Amino acid sequence: MEYDLRVSDRIERLKAKREWYNDGRLRLNSERTRIITKYYKEHESEYPILRRAGFLYEWCATREIFIEDEDILLGSTGPGMRTISFNIEARSHAWIKNCLGDSDEKFRAAWQTPGCVWVDDEERAMLLDAAEYWKDRDIHAHMKGFMPPEIYEHFGSGVSDIHPERTFSMPEGHFVANFEKAIKVGFGEVRRDAARRLAELEKNLTWENARSHAFYRAAIKLCDGAILMSKRYAQACRDKAATESDPARKAELLKMADSCDWIMENPARNLWEGLQVIIFYQTIISADGQQHGQSIANVDRYVGDLLDNDIASGNITRAEAQELFDAFILRIGDMIMLYTSPPNDELIKLNREGRSLFNTLGTDHTISGGIHVTIGGLKPDGSSGYNLASELMLLSFRRLVVPDPSVCIRVNEHTPDIIWKIAIESSKLAGGIPQFDNDEVIIRSLVERGIPLEEAREYGIIGCVEPTIPGKEWPCCGSTGSFGGVTLISVLNLCIHGNVNPMTGAAGRLPCKKLYEYESFEELQAEYERQVRFYVDFQQKIFQFFEVVYSEFFPCISASVMMDGCMESGKDVTWGGAKYNALGVMTNTFANTADSLMTIKKLCFDWKKVSLRELYDALCANWEGYENLRQMIINEVPHYGNDDDEVDELARWCSDVYADALMSYKGPRNCAMAAGSLTLTANVFIGKRTPATPDGRRSGEPMADAISPRQGAALNGPVSYVKSAAKLSHRKFSNGNQLNIRFDPRSVEGDEGTWKLRELIKAYFELGGLQLQFNVVATEELRKAQKDPIAYKDLIVRIAGFSTYFVHMSPEVQEDFINRSEQYV
Amino acid sequence: MTPKTENVTGRIYDIQGFAVHDGPGVRTTVFLKGCPLRCLWCHSPESQRSEYDLSYLAVKCVGKELCGAPCVGVCQSGALIECEPEKAVTGDRMVTKVKVDRERCAECLRCAGVCPSKALSASGREISVEEAYTRINKDRFVFKKDGGATISGGEPMGQFEFTLNLARKLKENGIGVCLDTTGYAPPEQFLEILEYIDLFLYDIKHMDSKKHRSFTGVPNELILSNARLLAENGASLQIRVPVIPKLNAGMENLEQTADFCARLGGAVKLVQLLPYHSMGRSKYARLGQPYRLSNVEPPDEAFMERALEVFLSRGLPGKIR
Repeated sequence: MEYDLRVSDRIERLKAKREWYNDGRLRLNSERTRIITKYYKEHESEYPILRRAGFLYEWCATREIFIEDEDILLGSTGPGMRTISFNIEARSHAWIKNCLGDSDEKFRAAWQTPGCVWVDDEERAMLLDAAEYWKDRDIHAHMKGFMPPEIYEHFGSGVSDIHPERTFSMPEGHFVANFEKAIKVGFGEVRRDAARRLAELEKNLTWENARSHAFYRAAIKLCDGAILMSKRYAQACRDKAATESDPARKAELLKMADSCDWIMENPARNLWEGLQVIIFYQTIISADGQQHGQSIANVDRYVGDLLDNDIASGNITRAEAQELFDAFILRIGDMIMLYTSPPNDELIKLNREGRSLFNTLGTDHTISGGIHVTIGGLKPDGSSGYNLASELMLLSFRRLVVPDPSVCIRVNEHTPDIIWKIAIESSKLAGGIPQFDNDEVIIRSLVERGIPLEEAREYGIIGCVEPTIPGKEWPCCGSTGSFGGVTLISVLNLCIHGNVNPMTGAAGRLPCKKLYEYESFEELQAEYERQVRFYVDFQQKIFQFFEVVYSEFFPCISASVMMDGCMESGKDVTWGGAKYNALGVMTNTFANTADSLMTIKKLCFDWKKVSLRELYDALCANWEGYENLRQMIINEVPHYGNDDDEVDELARWCSDVYADALMSYKGPRNCAMAAGSLTLTANVFIGKRTPATPDGRRSGEPMADAISPRQGAALNGPVSYVKSAAKLSHRKFSNGNQLNIRFDPRSVEGDEGTWKLRELIKAYFELGGLQLQFNVVATEELRKAQKDPIAYKDLIVRIAGFSTYFVHMSPEVQEDFINRSEQYV
Repeated sequence: MTPKTENVTGRIYDIQGFAVHDGPGVRTTVFLKGCPLRCLWCHSPESQRSEYDLSYLAVKCVGKELCGAPCVGVCQSGALIECEPEKAVTGDRMVTKVKVDRERCAECLRCAGVCPSKALSASGREISVEEAYTRINKDRFVFKKDGGATISGGEPMGQFEFTLNLARKLKENGIGVCLDTTGYAPPEQFLEILEYIDLFLYDIKHMDSKKHRSFTGVPNELILSNARLLAENGASLQIRVPVIPKLNAGMENLEQTADFCARLGGAVKLVQLLPYHSMGRSKYARLGQPYRLSNVEPPDEAFMERALEVFLSRGLPGKIR
């Protein structure tokens, strides 16, 4: 099973051009802000969905179009490669003012020093002007006009993070558009469909369906824009061909021009056209709100038959197809965005140091577009969903070794050996590329969320780990409104400290006892459960409120135009028009919560070695003067991650209490609520604001990530590690979860290591695990990388739901990564 | 005959799940303490002595400031010495760690009993056949067709009653068993345990008995004759040859080793050439023992390929690592 790792010269050059990660040649995409602000100013009173479509048409019609000399696939979110986008509607005005408007000196240091993200003086003035306009018109401003003020009273409890100034910025739609329909049907037919439906509607217009009138008109406008943009690219290809001296390249450009004239409007006829439609459509969706994490999912399914036909007809060779997939990944990986809420001084400092802007501690921002590609799976009838495109797509990831986009392998009985081999060898080299997802568990969880089996089998992954049905579901799996779920350890802390967060002094809403007042462990558990249910209820109310406002002012016509269900119902996805609906809510800190409960149970109740009062005092003192107690906890109390049934059962209980409470609600759009667990780098951030916990953790130290065991606590080897994790109720995590394992490289080297890693993954999945990703990198290498970041600039690690360059992470996040248990096999 | 019992205990230093270097498939390995050999390249010094060793891991030591250093108080031989205070890895506080004077240490292990952070710990513990079986059985689901348990060491035959009963218990419960042995044990014991062992991982370290003695502390006649005895009695052998430059990696010795393996015939299922590595070096530091093999470097891949060819050319199934 050998495969070809050599990429063509032009792919090599293209890859080098995109390597802004390491040289800082990155430009802020201000073009979108300029176009949307101008359009919005000129159309103040236009109905929101028409206004969105009008702006998008304007963007398609006037955005700058460029073609690199090496390009064989076209399209970007900004006016050039390496532009980083942001969403002005998502409360960016404060960020702009802080980062660009503070003083000339600071501005130049942060933005116009070599190595920084670049903004020129003219853009700066335009952005400041735009910020002033959006200040009272963005998502956050509209939310303030709706939200009852009491909801902010929870802030500071540590459980809920609804902050009057910081919350309600990003929509976090986290969805997969209907790329398959865009490729196979095209915007021309969809436009005709919308026009027919509009004509029908006018024959029988009622109060109930009048809003759909605007929806269909918006859909038509969007289709016009999409078709126009493709034709503009066709013209750009011809212009470039006119000055091209190399006859082969000239012919290629003219062929690309012909295809660009055809696609978007009409069904794609070959692999090149299919892949090009995906990129074009993705850029339009990105311009429409730029929802971070909107993914592409099952590319191999969308273009598999086009590839097969091309190969069979001799239209393309396998090597040429491989080069196309290489180019595709580089184009998708170039679509990145910036969260615009980091603290400005830290941003400026990072920028001056030439470090990543996206990993600012405390904001869990990542150097990523959050775009996820899913490989393989099942067909609706349950047969193998793997095809030649699966293999070539995966191989391109292995050939390029880039951290973005994310990629996962769907594991089932049909997963071919060659896929396993490339996947594991790639992941040994670059952490988490790909990650592994368990079909059996995920499909079952989707069926429980209300998706018919045949369609559940076609799931794809969004963002980090979140499953959806591409093109059929509006899943909002990033938590609508960009606020997380319930931090479980903070609930336990309220139960310990009598409904007060000792870090802030803020009280929660449900008065309760202090740790030393509980009569039994069961009483403590009951209190914990009561509090979790209360905060889940609180969160779901906020989701409902948020979506009312969001659906009125910021509908998403670019997704709705193709999404199954929307055209039929005449409703935007944000109005509940999609065929299926969900809302994913992430939670965290299972390991710390379970280990903490176990400590209280064993030391204070079962073994009676320590009194509740003493443990309480130790926590209040942040273990000062109680080191021996802390060591007893670390060394004698069983920890999650070691296949100890008692503590693992507590972890399962913690996740069930949460998931069961959440799943008992109907969310906005009458949707299913989907539980998940993912932390990105927030485990470090949550740790910073969390006091000492009974598991022996000191105040400020990081939490365990996602569903992984606590740092340094898993001492029984990888089998015990995965067995503990598998005991959680994974079928209740229809919004996904994540298990990280880091291996010592020497223990998994060679083919033998590869096949044994496969056995471990399979074993975890047979036990009911949902997702797994691993890093193969030794602690000593990471220490060297910290000391010599230049020498290790290419070291890619999987930190959470994304892979990134290790040296770009903040020191705190690096430290957390190193401290995660290294497993030897 | 050795009695059948599950009450017998063994002295082990570790049980590791998902071991991938101890036989075919995914295995869980029990490491027994005590070995009659003292190989210069040994990568598990904690396996050598039958007695518990005192292990000290400085990074786990939280320092006198936090724990009060009870270890120093209980030490009757004055072997625990306070170090100069140093800055903690995280935070600004100072840490006064201890160090072990191995010359003075009587290995009474009292300090390990009181050390709250377990920086000082006894390397080794007693475990019954039943306990060992229960632990291994937890990993059963990953064993599949090829995997299972491996009993290793040290020299597991040195605790024969435990090893035999554990192997029998595993075998009777459908878990495949590999025995990782130096071959340095009474022949009658090998004959007795044979029926419970699916595969012997059998080391051949040098064909010259004198050199064998100087590198490992014992001559090789018993080892070679036991290998022949096992082969004649239907055992399956996976011969493991450590390749240690300057010691046993000469072509002459490799050829003699290969000839010997070839004469064992079909019993040899695989010859595994294990290139020398120095990963065990840090363990010596933990035990306060000198690492005796200086200026030996791991062999390069090209040499390993040539060495492998010596075995393959004799029709033996072989591989590197």
